[in-house]
Amino acid sequence: MPRMIFISLPVADLPKSRAFYQALGFQINATFSDDSSACVVMSDTISVMLSTHEKYSQLTPLPIGDPRSQSHCLMALSCDTREEVIDMTARALAAGGTELHPPEDLGFMYSCAFADLDGNGWGPMWFDTSATE
Amino acid sequence: MSKMIFVNLPITDLPKSRSFYEAIGFTINEMFSDESAACAVMSEQIFVMLLTHPKMQAFTTLPIGDAKTSVQHMLATSCDSRADVDAMLAASTAAGGTESRPVQDLGFMYSRAFADPDGHIWEPFWMDPTAAAGGPPADAE
Repeated sequence: MPRMIFISLPVADLPKSRAFYQALGFQINATFSDDSSACVVMSDTISVMLSTHEKYSQLTPLPIGDPRSQSHCLMALSCDTREEVIDMTARALAAGGTELHPPEDLGFMYSCAFADLDGNGWGPMWFDTSATE
Repeated sequence: MSKMIFVNLPITDLPKSRSFYEAIGFTINEMFSDESAACAVMSEQIFVMLLTHPKMQAFTTLPIGDAKTSVQHMLATSCDSRADVDAMLAASTAAGGTESRPVQDLGFMYSRAFADPDGHIWEPFWMDPTAAAGGPPADAE
């Protein structure tokens, strides 16, 4: 079976974060969601698990950090076109996200960067697949 | 085209981290690797970019946090069997990782967790394909 990844992120306000990720265009998998977590489906093998701080604290003994003050991880997500990158970023900003840096255009690659409602960094990007072959 | 994800993690010692991720079963894509970064391939769609702190700092204005003292993300990844979960855990601790919590065995799902040399937490898990398709059994809780 192809390997799957679930990126597990703590969120301060689950209903708001659910709505944020839905606004980006992703579906919620209700089977793996409840009052304490929501499973955001990005593809057949890529999902994001949003969990309340209370739930998250059951999964790790470490205190929950603040991605607004320190960076631990940035997620870059491929898009099929430049327009999809621009569209996803616009949706993120309209839904309460924050732009992290201006668009970067290298010709063969185009990327934006935004933080979700809790400060988790995302970088939608398009790259010319022929440039990497 | 199916979505691809690149999980970018700051690491302090690139050769050590490269070896660690190779030891837990991933290959390094040399085309996307250099003296400041290594691309660990988990599947055709899933990649982990190990970045030295100076390289990571090129992508963020925030200071780099310490994943050993607080947690902002955990990365759960599927395995084909319980034995594969155990094997990944054993490989991680042999290569300098640390088991970060006790085994969780719910019957239909089996998971363990380890931290890489920089504290980034991974949770290899196996889930019964029937449960994965239909969700956890109603009596799981």
